[in-house]
Amino acid sequence: MDIGLLSFIIFLPLVIAFILMVLPFGMKMTRNIAFVTTIVVFLLSLSIFFRFRLADYMQFREFHPWITTYGIYYSLGVDGFSMIILMLTTTLIPLGYLFLWKTKKSKGYWISMLMIQAGVTGALLSLDLILFYFFWESMLLPVFMIIGIYGTGNRIFSTLKITIYTIMGSLFMFVSILYLGVQFYNEFGVWSFQLSDLVQITTMSRTQETLLFFGFMAAFAIKIPIFPFHTWLMQTYSNSPTGGVFILSSIMAKLGIYGIVRFVLPLFPHQYVEFAPYFVGLGIFGLIYFGIAALMQQNIKRMFAYSSASHLAFITAGIFSLNAYGMTGAAFLIVAHAMATGGLFLLTGTIEYDLGIRSISGLGGIAKKAPLLTVAFALMLLSIVGLPGTNGFVSEFLIVLGLFKYNHFAGIISATTVLVAASFMFWMFQRAILVRTDNDVSKMKDLDIKEVVGIFGLALVIIAMGLYPHWFLYKIEPTIQHYLIDILKVGVGS
Amino acid sequence: MSSYFLAWIVLIPLISAAFLGILYLYSITVKKISDKVFATIAITAPILSFMLGVGFFLGLKNGASEYIYEPYIWLGVNDYIINMGFLGDKLSIFMVLFITFIGSLIHIYAAGYMKGDDGYGKFFSYFNLFVASMLLLVLANSPIIMFIGWESVGLCSYLLIGFYFTDPLNVVAGNKAFIANRVGDLGFLIGLVYLFFYVGKLGFDYSALEQYIDIVPNHILVIIGSALFVGAMGKSAQIPLYVWLPDAMAGPTPVSALIHAATMVTAGVYMVARFHFLYDLIPNVGLFIAYIGAFSALFAAVIAMKQSDIKKILAYSTISQLGYMFIAVGLGAYSTGLFHVFTHAFFKALLFMGAGAIIIALHHEQNIFKMGGLRKRLPLIYIVMLVANLAISGIPPFAGFFSKDEILLKAYKHHEYLIYGIGLFTAALTAYYMFRLFFVTFEGKNYTEKKLEPLSWSMKAPLVVLAFGAAFSGFVGLPKVFSNTNLIDTWLGNWSGVSIHAEHYEEIIFMGVSVIAGLIGIAVAYVKFFKYDFSQELKEGGIVYNKFYIDELIDFLIVRRVRSLSTFISVVIDDGVIDKTVMSLSNGFINLGRRVGRMQSANTRMYAFFMLIGLSSFSLYLIFKLGQ
Repeated sequence: MDIGLLSFIIFLPLVIAFILMVLPFGMKMTRNIAFVTTIVVFLLSLSIFFRFRLADYMQFREFHPWITTYGIYYSLGVDGFSMIILMLTTTLIPLGYLFLWKTKKSKGYWISMLMIQAGVTGALLSLDLILFYFFWESMLLPVFMIIGIYGTGNRIFSTLKITIYTIMGSLFMFVSILYLGVQFYNEFGVWSFQLSDLVQITTMSRTQETLLFFGFMAAFAIKIPIFPFHTWLMQTYSNSPTGGVFILSSIMAKLGIYGIVRFVLPLFPHQYVEFAPYFVGLGIFGLIYFGIAALMQQNIKRMFAYSSASHLAFITAGIFSLNAYGMTGAAFLIVAHAMATGGLFLLTGTIEYDLGIRSISGLGGIAKKAPLLTVAFALMLLSIVGLPGTNGFVSEFLIVLGLFKYNHFAGIISATTVLVAASFMFWMFQRAILVRTDNDVSKMKDLDIKEVVGIFGLALVIIAMGLYPHWFLYKIEPTIQHYLIDILKVGVGS
Repeated sequence: MSSYFLAWIVLIPLISAAFLGILYLYSITVKKISDKVFATIAITAPILSFMLGVGFFLGLKNGASEYIYEPYIWLGVNDYIINMGFLGDKLSIFMVLFITFIGSLIHIYAAGYMKGDDGYGKFFSYFNLFVASMLLLVLANSPIIMFIGWESVGLCSYLLIGFYFTDPLNVVAGNKAFIANRVGDLGFLIGLVYLFFYVGKLGFDYSALEQYIDIVPNHILVIIGSALFVGAMGKSAQIPLYVWLPDAMAGPTPVSALIHAATMVTAGVYMVARFHFLYDLIPNVGLFIAYIGAFSALFAAVIAMKQSDIKKILAYSTISQLGYMFIAVGLGAYSTGLFHVFTHAFFKALLFMGAGAIIIALHHEQNIFKMGGLRKRLPLIYIVMLVANLAISGIPPFAGFFSKDEILLKAYKHHEYLIYGIGLFTAALTAYYMFRLFFVTFEGKNYTEKKLEPLSWSMKAPLVVLAFGAAFSGFVGLPKVFSNTNLIDTWLGNWSGVSIHAEHYEEIIFMGVSVIAGLIGIAVAYVKFFKYDFSQELKEGGIVYNKFYIDELIDFLIVRRVRSLSTFISVVIDDGVIDKTVMSLSNGFINLGRRVGRMQSANTRMYAFFMLIGLSSFSLYLIFKLGQ
């Protein structure tokens, strides 16, 4: 049996994780091997990026029978949309390792990180719904462990809450998947859970389709999260260790969006178009609602949680805008936001590491002690507030344009995004980092060389994507056009 | 001159800024680098850009119509393509020349002013970044690329206002500037989106926009023009978004001179002139702009009459002078507005730098009522400040006279008599408050006997150069009665708007009236302040002194409301309602479980088991009931 590139990307971390689990290595050795693994995976994904062909849709396909009785296949593939998220994941994780380097957590921490990576990339590349579901749930387990074992505060409660909450959502999706499978069997006489097969089902009524649409959306809406399913997020983020919150915010939250585009869109195109106004509305509402809520938060991580929720709501609005601007912008914002938020959480992690957990009013005067950290912090923050010259601006501009095309009023309201993040981010930056206070921050150390490489590498990508976005976008665009023209049929050039 | 060098006008200061930034970080973390190294690199960059600008100037003078350089596609979705592009035409090169010329002088001045400061390298990194951003703003070939520069200058302004960031007041002022600018940028962005939506398909550079602007329905043009102007209100500190500029004086004085007086704040005027093809079609919006300008001019002048901080007075005078510029561009007399941008850059930079010299000499004293008698102690500063004051007060033959007078003439000739009246009255007020500052500072008894801090040549030399500019730069736009060739109008021919015919005797009458207004202002200031008695305690207070309580009103009506809403959302709605519902649902299940079975162990395996049962039965139900 030949093993493809995508399988390597998924299973290399998993295999290494199992080997490390068995071998009697210490924490440091485990960490170093895990880091090298992520670098290898990064290089593999880079080769996918450069070999990606614009003319084709799904590429690097792998297809093997798995549980043939029920038509479950091991089926993988990548298109423009999943490729950009794959690149994001494989780039961010090693950079994150450079920051987590000094956290003297045990061996299990690094093994869990590898397993999360395997789960995330697996979910990202699966084209069989059962396989997808398998990866989708399996990434929860290591997250569960990372928060439960290495978290802070009321961590066990947070762990249970996130797990039960997301599993509850996933169950609706699982039932919907099974239901689709049965429908396919009834119509074609064979079992299959392949996405390309299930989209061919014609026998369902609109009501059935709508119910299943919401079954899928339940899982994704909780994961993203869409208002009002968001309350787990704030608690989980503030109790997670740096690595956990980094993965959750920058990568796993984006999988909810990805799931909608990959599965909901082709399976239920009618409903996607029919309910788009509601999700655009919820998205724009969330953008402002979460943004305002962020303003008065005392805990930095909680503030970033609200800030993430605000941006994710904006992304949701973008993918339901039913035109190329909104969807391309959403894809771009997935990347931009992951980088900036990931960076911010990592930097906050180093502050926590040096000073312990503190509220915003307990900090201050960090800039004088740690100028490099401050510069990095500022750069990430500028991308979040969407300053032109960073990738944040390009994506926000495109989404506003897309929403404007969808509905002028929606576009104008969503343009307030330029104010929302700026209002709380700059205020927080002032109080927590810049202004000198009576709080003792003498233990604050500046970034070390590894962290400098990691965070400024990220900053360079953020700026490069802001100054030359076309180079990053032209590979996504054919895929987006395919969604719009071939699947949603909302017209050429919309 | 190859158009390729257009990019380098921007790139040189940009690269220099990045290099200085890295060098600065190296200097504070690894090994100290001498101030001279920073200053040399920093000053070189704008001078090189200036030289390139001169090259393009000569090219345009010798007949080239414009230079365009488009290195790559910035963004392309569907058929809509936006190029990263630079445009060197007569307007942008005109802007480049005075930005880099005055920018270079202020860099030299700052090299002396900032001497010994811990953040010396950082300062120049930001300063170069500002120059690069401003040059990108004026050289961009499409509004979206311009917007990159537009927001970056705002960022630099934020960074430099909060330069001494350990003091909360400075950072608050920086935040205020950024947010106020962002409110404007929200308008700008909406304008851009409308514009892109209606004409973007046909190209988004200025020449395409100009060509196809006719296809946009008129009511949409009104929206676009107004929305873009909201951006200008923010950047150029006009009513009601002016609130940030006075506070922005928290930054070091060279910053106030370069960013908050000579260059960045004129970006709004430049933008309107750049979009002249749009504003020509919507004269009503133009008239609105002119009125906003007139009222800003008056309003700021009234406040300036009562201030005592030397930099604050100059800040309000900047708002006031920007108001004049908007009167001109609003009435379609773009070249006249730009003429005032040009002369104002000289005398206002000079005023700020002179004020900075006084502040340094007096060991960081900014209250004019604690100065006094400086004429004999700082004779050079006295002379250059006198020139600058005469220029801003509109006394011939100094620079401000010609440009301000032309604006007033145009307003009158457009039959906007109210604007003309406000402008003339404000001119008198301007002369009054500027000479109030001047007399109180330089005449009267010595308030302080302390030894003065000596001023270095690098601070003095730029002052002298600028003094010549403030004295003579008005000659590039002489009225017809003196000369048949108005250099500014000739150079900016495309932007001269509707031509106005004025007889020679009319010009002379108008000039006479303006001069009289200025002299009245000076006379009143002379009577009240020439022999100002410092023993009297200065009365502080009153509605004008407190700037009409606008800041307090904004704080009360907006800032506090939003903060309470924020607390309400996160505490009452999120924690109180939504999360409580979620938790009570789950607690409900737990209680149910307690009653039904042995689930008090909270055993995860049991949960999983029950889930499995539930799931299987539900699936079975679906399969058999619905699946048929």
